Amino acid sequence: MTPERFHQIVEAYGADARRWPPHERAAAQAWARSHRVEADVALAQAAGIDAWLAADKVEPPSLELQRRIVERAPVRWLFARGRWWWSGAAVAGVGLLGGVAGALAMSFFVLTENAPAVHESSYLTSSFGGTSADWSGE
Amino acid sequence: MSEAPPDPDAELIAQIGREEPGAVRSLVARKLPRLLALATRMLGDRMEAEDVAQEVFVRIWKQAARWREGEAKFDTWMHRVALNLCYDRLRGRREDPNDELPDMADPAAPPEARLEARAESERVRAALAALPARQREALVLTYYQEMSNLDAAALMGVSVDALESLLARARRNLRTQLAGGSGLGKDKS
Repeated sequence: MTPERFHQIVEAYGADARRWPPHERAAAQAWARSHRVEADVALAQAAGIDAWLAADKVEPPSLELQRRIVERAPVRWLFARGRWWWSGAAVAGVGLLGGVAGALAMSFFVLTENAPAVHESSYLTSSFGGTSADWSGE
Repeated sequence: MSEAPPDPDAELIAQIGREEPGAVRSLVARKLPRLLALATRMLGDRMEAEDVAQEVFVRIWKQAARWREGEAKFDTWMHRVALNLCYDRLRGRREDPNDELPDMADPAAPPEARLEARAESERVRAALAALPARQREALVLTYYQEMSNLDAAALMGVSVDALESLLARARRNLRTQLAGGSGLGKDKS
């Protein structure tokens, strides 16, 4: 590693050795250790630019931008809309089952012409109503 | 002669070629932030950068089914497409150079620290925008995109020596700017 090459590396890639060319990194670091005063001047100057560059932050992409990009991708219809297909089928299935259950109940009332007894017993035996048995026989 | 390492994006691109939506989302998550950062720094304009990013992905979707591993690294190809689109827009601006700082003001007043950080970021962005385009490209690829010097030089179609020369001149120009001088952009090569 020559002094000229060390300065070229720092002037091009900055003070952070991780950015230096991999095959020259160890040699450049060794040169800096053995020429500390000269190296420190060059490194300090480059570090100022590095810090300044690091101040530039780019906002991450918005969800809206991601959505627009994904929407334009050619994806297979079954994959792309599978979630919608299944949720639609589920809604339709629940509706159909509800209709069948309602029809069965109505046909039962019509055939028996007698509505099933109201579950009064459960009311009478609830903790609010107390039990109809008074345990007088005990 | 050692064999080139496998392309880390190859499998994902193959899945996109088979039109698997999970792969689409993975690639967008993996590449969009870097792509948007590249275009934002090259163009200095967020809206234009978003347009470029969208256009790059449209080209990816078209090319994915025909992508063949080994011809070029996918990431390098993607950067090349993005840079070409950026240069198309920069050439379109040549008659009307934009010396104004990009308007990044947020209507909601952010806290003091965020205001300062935003102002500093705007100063850096303005300084980058004032660099000659090739110097800016070299700096953005190696510093912000963290490309190796070999990959950046290959992408720019120059030797590593020429890349280093561009980088050194870019940094000198920025240093002049930092010192408050007016020399920025005088070194146009």
